[in-house]
Amino acid sequence: MMRLPIAVWLIVPGAAALVLLMGGPVAVLTIDSLRPYIPGSIRAGDGYTFANYIELAKPAYFNYAYETFRIGLIVSAFSVAMGAPLAYVAVRSRRAIVRKGLLTLLVGLLVMSLIARLYAIEMTWGTHGPLAFIGAFVSGLAPRSPRYAEVLVAIGLMHFTIPIVALMLVGAFRALSPRLEEAAASLGATRSEAILTVVLPLAAPAMVSAYLVSLAMCISNFVAPLLLGRGVVVFTTNLMYTRFTDIGNYQAGAAIGVFMLIASFAVVYGLATIAKKFLPGAVPTR
Amino acid sequence: MTVSMNRRSLLAAMSAAAATSAGPVFGQARGEQILVVMWGAQWIEVCRPIGEEWLRATGDRVQWELHAGGAMGIVGRMRPQFPRIQQNLVAAWDPVFDAMIEADWLEPVSETEMSALKEIPEIFFKKDKQGRKITVPLSTAGAFWGYRTDLLDKPLENIEQLLEPRFKGKLCVPVPVNLSGLLMVSLAIQRGGNERNIEPGWQFLKELAQRGNIGRVVANNSEMINAMSQGDLSVAFWNTGGWQAVSERFPTRLLTRLNDNKGFLFNEGYVVMKGDNPAKIAAAKRFANHFATAEINTRYNMPLGSGPTNVNAKPADAIKDIFYKPDELAKYAYIPDYSYMSTQVDAWTRRWETEITPLVRQG
Repeated sequence: MMRLPIAVWLIVPGAAALVLLMGGPVAVLTIDSLRPYIPGSIRAGDGYTFANYIELAKPAYFNYAYETFRIGLIVSAFSVAMGAPLAYVAVRSRRAIVRKGLLTLLVGLLVMSLIARLYAIEMTWGTHGPLAFIGAFVSGLAPRSPRYAEVLVAIGLMHFTIPIVALMLVGAFRALSPRLEEAAASLGATRSEAILTVVLPLAAPAMVSAYLVSLAMCISNFVAPLLLGRGVVVFTTNLMYTRFTDIGNYQAGAAIGVFMLIASFAVVYGLATIAKKFLPGAVPTR
Repeated sequence: MTVSMNRRSLLAAMSAAAATSAGPVFGQARGEQILVVMWGAQWIEVCRPIGEEWLRATGDRVQWELHAGGAMGIVGRMRPQFPRIQQNLVAAWDPVFDAMIEADWLEPVSETEMSALKEIPEIFFKKDKQGRKITVPLSTAGAFWGYRTDLLDKPLENIEQLLEPRFKGKLCVPVPVNLSGLLMVSLAIQRGGNERNIEPGWQFLKELAQRGNIGRVVANNSEMINAMSQGDLSVAFWNTGGWQAVSERFPTRLLTRLNDNKGFLFNEGYVVMKGDNPAKIAAAKRFANHFATAEINTRYNMPLGSGPTNVNAKPADAIKDIFYKPDELAKYAYIPDYSYMSTQVDAWTRRWETEITPLVRQG
């Protein structure tokens, strides 16, 4: 009898959980997305239809998906740009108090209630907030304008993507030997040159991973646009919530969910392919 | 001989007296545990002590579950499990009742079992296809335009004025699913339409959005109260519960008596869910009946800013300006066809998402 390698046995529990916990709901969602909706009724109609998907082809719904990804891509870029230096200092600082303090701060930010943070952002950066003038200056938008809500949503998203990105990169920077930077310095490189030419290229795979995780967190976020979007910055998650919770049109909500799943896979796969092309070391290959 | 009576025993005695006077269902076995769905904020604040007194008086235990978002949300949560649901009593309002009645989820109620229903006018009840009463109406509430008087230089006299530049970014409005699209109906009425001729309302709404006058779109009571408290919005269309909270903090004026527009009225209350446990259904009816009695109906509605439905209950002084005298109803109030509106909300939401939100976002 053929004996299965230990690696196969090790992945069985995780794979089974994935199939049952994720595959099951996604399958049910897919089936529901193909059922017709009867206005005013809780029950789905008989038969199957693509109407719920055809509806999503309207330009307005494309715009909602585009806005969701656009804000997610921008916020993720800012998160990596701000999280990487924090992670580097948290690993390389000579002062233990700085290293421990930064790590405590990053973990602490994750522990604090997201809802409390979002309301605090509204109070601080919102129309009458003490820092609204900075947001208005940077964005070029009046704090009272509906478009300023985008700035608030972006700040809200960064509140929880930056700590995640930074903590992911802490492990990557720890794995890089400081001797490499010392070697670069002994060859005449300045500190910043050593970081730019040695540390960042070696950390590129981790930074791409952190970027994609941040993107996934942004495009699937629901609370930040709900609380800070003033009802005018609407993510696809908010559209889904309305369908499921307020209207009872589960079929349309399911169709948006399935569409976003496919779109997210496509965007992540596309970004990974681009990263592989332009940053050969950024994506592991076999 | 002296009789010692503390607060707890007095409350228990009052509840027991109410229970005893409330009809045949109270003669059945006590000590059931029921799951009751209620709104958060002021609603649950009022209901918790009533439930605790009920436990002390009858032995029936009440476990509260709160609505997440609009009341229609509970329909989505129960749908996959029905008929094996845990909820025995659900607080909701007209459009949600219609959806549940259509799906045949509800247990009929009768004055034989629930004597307090005799004191509620017939017009407040919703009925099933067989003509049986199916809801326990507890409150009469409304939705109106209103504004913060401290933020306006001159009064708002009619809805057409909302198009003026002074209201740029100042309007707080609900998404169509909230209040079942009453915002659009209000705007439609202004231009000669109604819920079945809604097009004029959409045109008005587009004009408001194109001029940048809609500053915020809210989806629940808390959002409306927060939005109106921040000071950058001055006018809103919302329900009496939200307005009650805003008026406690700021000077407000509700436009309940406009000559060329209408205020809207609707009912809130309980429905008893179908189930396979008769004891729990009986307990749910006992508890709903208790809420419908004059004393509890008064206590329930006073802090909510809603009108009681029991004819013997006392309405709060704070709502005297909000609710209409019988001779004012035809002139100032409108009770739309909520059943019809509930069939339109999906289409109205899509139209909002495709035609209005992009305009609002441009500012």
